[in-house]
Amino acid sequence: MNVGDKLILRKSNVSDFFSSLQGEMQLIAPKKRFAGDVVFDVVNSPEEIVWEYGHDIYPPGKRYIFPHYEDMFSYRRGEQISIDVAAEAPKQAIVAIRSCDVTAVRFQERFFSTPIVDPFYKARAENTVLFSLVCNEPPKKECFCICCDGGPYLETGFDVQLTDLGDRFLYEIGSEKGLRASEPRQQYLEPSSEQDIAERKRIELHADSLFQTASYIAKAIIYITSDEVPDEVWEELGSTCFRCAACTNLCPICTCYTVDDRPEPDGSFTRCRSWDSCQYAGFTREASGHNPRPTFGSRVKRRFYHKASFQYIMRDGRHGCVGCGRCVSSCLTKLDLPSVVKKIRRAMHDYIEPKSRPTAFLQ
Amino acid sequence: MNDKPTTCGFCSCGCALYVEPRKSGLGIAGLCPSTTHPVSTGRLCIKGWNATASLVRMDRLQTPLVRKGDELQPASWEEAFAFTVDALKRVMDASGPESVGIIGSAKTTNEECYSLVKFARSILCTPNLDGACRFYDASLIPALLDTVGVAASQVDVESLANAGSMLIVGANVMEQLAHIGSRIQDAVENGCNVVAADPRKSRLAPQARLFLHPKPGSDLTWVRALLKTIFDRKLYVDTAPQMPGFEELRASLDDVVMGVLPQVCGIEPDAIAEAAALLAEKKPCVVMFGLGVLQQQDSTLLVKALVDVALLLGGSVMPLRGQNNAQGACDMGVLRGYLPGYQPIDSAEARAKWEAAWGCSISPQAGLSAVDMVQGGVKALLVFGENVALSAPNTERTLSALENLDFLAVSDLYLTETAQLADVVFPACSFLEKDGTFTSIGRRVQRVRKMIDPVGQSKSDLEIIAGLASAFGKQITADPAAVMAEIAANVPMYAHCSYEQFETGWGEPWRAEAATSRLAPIPATDLQPEDPDYPYQLIASRINFHTQTGTMASRCGILTREYPESVVELNPSDAEKLKLRPGRVVQVSSKAGSLTRRVAVSDAVPQGCVHVPHYFGGDSANMLADYVCDPVSGVPIYKGLPVKIEAVS
Repeated sequence: MNVGDKLILRKSNVSDFFSSLQGEMQLIAPKKRFAGDVVFDVVNSPEEIVWEYGHDIYPPGKRYIFPHYEDMFSYRRGEQISIDVAAEAPKQAIVAIRSCDVTAVRFQERFFSTPIVDPFYKARAENTVLFSLVCNEPPKKECFCICCDGGPYLETGFDVQLTDLGDRFLYEIGSEKGLRASEPRQQYLEPSSEQDIAERKRIELHADSLFQTASYIAKAIIYITSDEVPDEVWEELGSTCFRCAACTNLCPICTCYTVDDRPEPDGSFTRCRSWDSCQYAGFTREASGHNPRPTFGSRVKRRFYHKASFQYIMRDGRHGCVGCGRCVSSCLTKLDLPSVVKKIRRAMHDYIEPKSRPTAFLQ
Repeated sequence: MNDKPTTCGFCSCGCALYVEPRKSGLGIAGLCPSTTHPVSTGRLCIKGWNATASLVRMDRLQTPLVRKGDELQPASWEEAFAFTVDALKRVMDASGPESVGIIGSAKTTNEECYSLVKFARSILCTPNLDGACRFYDASLIPALLDTVGVAASQVDVESLANAGSMLIVGANVMEQLAHIGSRIQDAVENGCNVVAADPRKSRLAPQARLFLHPKPGSDLTWVRALLKTIFDRKLYVDTAPQMPGFEELRASLDDVVMGVLPQVCGIEPDAIAEAAALLAEKKPCVVMFGLGVLQQQDSTLLVKALVDVALLLGGSVMPLRGQNNAQGACDMGVLRGYLPGYQPIDSAEARAKWEAAWGCSISPQAGLSAVDMVQGGVKALLVFGENVALSAPNTERTLSALENLDFLAVSDLYLTETAQLADVVFPACSFLEKDGTFTSIGRRVQRVRKMIDPVGQSKSDLEIIAGLASAFGKQITADPAAVMAEIAANVPMYAHCSYEQFETGWGEPWRAEAATSRLAPIPATDLQPEDPDYPYQLIASRINFHTQTGTMASRCGILTREYPESVVELNPSDAEKLKLRPGRVVQVSSKAGSLTRRVAVSDAVPQGCVHVPHYFGGDSANMLADYVCDPVSGVPIYKGLPVKIEAVS
C-alpha cells in the first residue's frame, strides 16, 4: 500500500472500516440535526454519518483545527502563579469533508506555520486526518469551487479522497497521514478496476458541467492588485453591509482571531481565542482611537484585498477563496465573493474610462 | 453540539441556532445558525453570532441576594422566597392587593409570562400587572385591536421579499432587525417601491425610492396628508369603500391642508403625492413602523393612521417590535387591562372563564400601568427581566421612586441599575439555560431549548415564579410543557401548540384571523408647542450593536468594541452655529434630565435636531423624557423631545 494508490472501499464495508478507525481516533462527520439541518459533529458510530448531506455552513475543517472558541491556557493569580496548557489536540478523522474545505485547511496550515509556527494549530492539524468526499454534483447552487481551484474533486492535497461510485467508494490515498490511517484496515480495501477509474472520470466531467455560480476572480485580481477600484465602489458596497461578520466567520480560509481572558468559577482564568473579523471596526481601531479602516467600504476593500490581491497570492500560495459558497449563503446582503467581483467588474466600466489594464504587478 | 436548536433571545426575528457547550467552565465552544429555519436560513446578525458572550459569564448573579441593612447579601433560595412572601404579605395586609404591582418582561418565555400572569391575578390578586412593552410598543395594542382586530404583525418575515411596496416609518430596521432588513433588500431587488420616513437619513437610504425626512413629532400631519391624497386620487383598492369606517375616515380628513406640510413637517406636498403613487403602484403593500412611531406623541392614533394607509391600499401592517418575545408576552396577557389572549379584563365573561380556569376571583379593575408603578403608584413592586430604571422616562425621578418603595424584588441576569435598588434579587437564567417558547414577530411559537447548565445557582423565571407560589402555599408548575398544555387549552390562538408538536418542525404561526377590519377616523391633534429655551429636537435611535437597556449586549466584548462610546450627532451647520468641534463634550438637557456626550457631526442628522443613539447602560437617552404619555396607551413620549445643547467646559 502506497501514497497514490486508488483502491475500492465497498459501501458494505464502510461501517466496519470506520468503526475500526474509531478505535484510534474520534470521528467527525456530517450529522443529522433538527428539521433537516446537518452539521458536522463527533459521531458515536459510523451509522450516524450522513453521506448525502449537501454542504455544512459551519466549516468543519476550520472548526476542528482552528476552533471557533479555543481554550489556550489557564492561569491562577496571587502568591502562587501557575499556568497550565488548556488546549487539546485529540486524534480525529474528519469524514466526508468537501474538497473546498480540504483546500482551505491546506491554506490555513501554511498560514499558521509560516513564518511563525502556531503551536495550538500545529498540534491539532498533526492529529487530524481528512477523509474528503468528492462532490458528484455541486451540493449547493452557491458553490463556485470550480472557479477557485477548490474542488469539486482534488488532484493533490487530500489525505484520503472518497468518490461515491454507487455501491462503492473509490478510495484514493494522497498523503503519508492518509496511508497510516489506511494501512491497519487493508482488509476492507481492494484494488480498483479500469471501469472504476472510468466511472470516476465520468463523474468529474459531469460535476464540472453543473455549476450555477460563476466568479470571474481573475479580473478582480487584476483590478484589485493594481489598486484601480475607486473608493466610491467600495463605499457603495459597504453601504449595504449588516456588519454581522458571517462572511469571515464562516470562510474556511479566514484566520483572524482575538484573545480574551475569562474568569472561571474556580477562581482561575482561561485565555481563550475566538474567531474575529476584519469587517469589525474594532478589529483595527488603534489605542488612540484612530482607525486605519474607518468606513464599511474600507473594510470591505480590506477583505477583498486579502482574498484577491497579488501580494497575498504570492505570500499564501494561492488566492484566498476556495469557492465553498458560504459567504453567499450566510450574507444578509450580497457582499459575497461572486457578487462583489461581479459588481467590481461592472463598476469598472461605469466609473473608469477604458484603458489598457496594467500588468506590471506580474513582473 | 446539541442535537436540537434553540431560538435566539436577542430580537423578535426569532432565528434558530445551534450551540456547542464548552467541555468545562463557563461559555460555549461553538455556535451556528440553522439553515432550514425559515427566518435564519443559515444566517445570523452580529448579535446572534455573539449571543452567548454577553450571557454566560462570571459576573452573572450567582445566588439570590437579600437586603440586610444597607447591603445586598447572598442568601439561599428558601430565604429569598420567604423574605419576599413576608414582605408582600405585610404590604398587602396593611394596604390591600392594589398596593402591589408586577412588571413582566418581553424577554422571558411564554410559559414564564403566562405563569407570571397567573401568579399576579390568582395568587396576589392584584390588578396591577403590566409588561415592559409599556415603555416601548404598547400603543400598537389598542390601535391594532380597534382596526385590524389582531394585535400582531399580519406579515411574516419570510414573505416580505414578495412585497410590491413598503412604507417604513420611524424604524432603524436595518440595524435593529437585520433579518427584516435583509428581506427589505431582497424585496427591492425584486422591484419593490420602498418609501421610508425618518427625520434622520438611516441605513435604509440605499433601499428607498423616496426617503421623507419629517420633523420629529410631525408624523401625524403628513400621514393624514397621505391618507387624504389616497382618497383624493382614488388610489384605494376597490373593496375599500365597503370597509366599515370608510366615510368616517374620509370626513375626518376634511381639514387637511397640504400647504402647511413644508412648515409643519418639512415635507413638500409633491413628495406626499409621489409617496402615495409609489405605494399604490405595486401590490401588496406592507406598512411597517418602529419605535419612532410607537414612542411618539399620540402614538395610538398615529398607528391607526398607518393601519388606515395599509387597509386603503389593500395591504398589511408589520409593527417592528424589537424584543425577542414582545409578541408572546402580550399574547400571554402581561399587559395592563387584559387577560391572556387579549381578553379585556372589564369583560365579565372573560373574567369568569379565567376565574374558572385558575380557581380564583379576578379584579375587574384595569390596574396601574408600568409607567404608573415606577412613579410610585404602588408600595411593593416585583420586576421580572426588565431594567426599568433605564427604560422608564425621567431617570432621576424613577430612581428615587424605586428607592422609596416599601419593597422591591427584581429577577434578572445581572445586578442591573434596577436590581441595585432591590430588597430581594433573584438570579435568573438566560435563554440558553432553560426550556420554553418565544413567539416571533411573525407569530411563530418556537422552542427555546436548554443548551447549557444554569450559571451559578440561577433559576429560570418559571422556577422562580413556581417557588414564590409555593412559598405562598399555592401551586404553579415549573414544567414548561405542562404550562404550554394549559396555555393551549385556554388561549385560542395557541390551541395548536404542544411540546410534542414543536418536535416535528419549525411550526406554524398562530392564525391572525380578524373578524372585520375597520378603518379608524384620524382627527388632527395639537402639535407640541415649541419652547424657545429648548430649541433642538431629540432623535433617539437604536443601533446595530445594542439592544434595549444594555443588560446583555453591553457585556459582549465584540459588541462594545464596535461601539465603545456613545456620541451626540449634530448637523454640521448646527455644530458651526454652536461653535462645537467634533469631540467636544456637551450636555444635552431637557426639562426632565440631561446627559453628557461627545459631539460628532453628520449630514444624516437634519438641522435643528440632535441624534443620540441608545447606548449601553448608564445614561440612557430615555432620561431626557418625562412622564408625558400617549393618552390612549400610556406609552411615554420619548421621541422629538425639545432639548438644548451646552458645551461643558
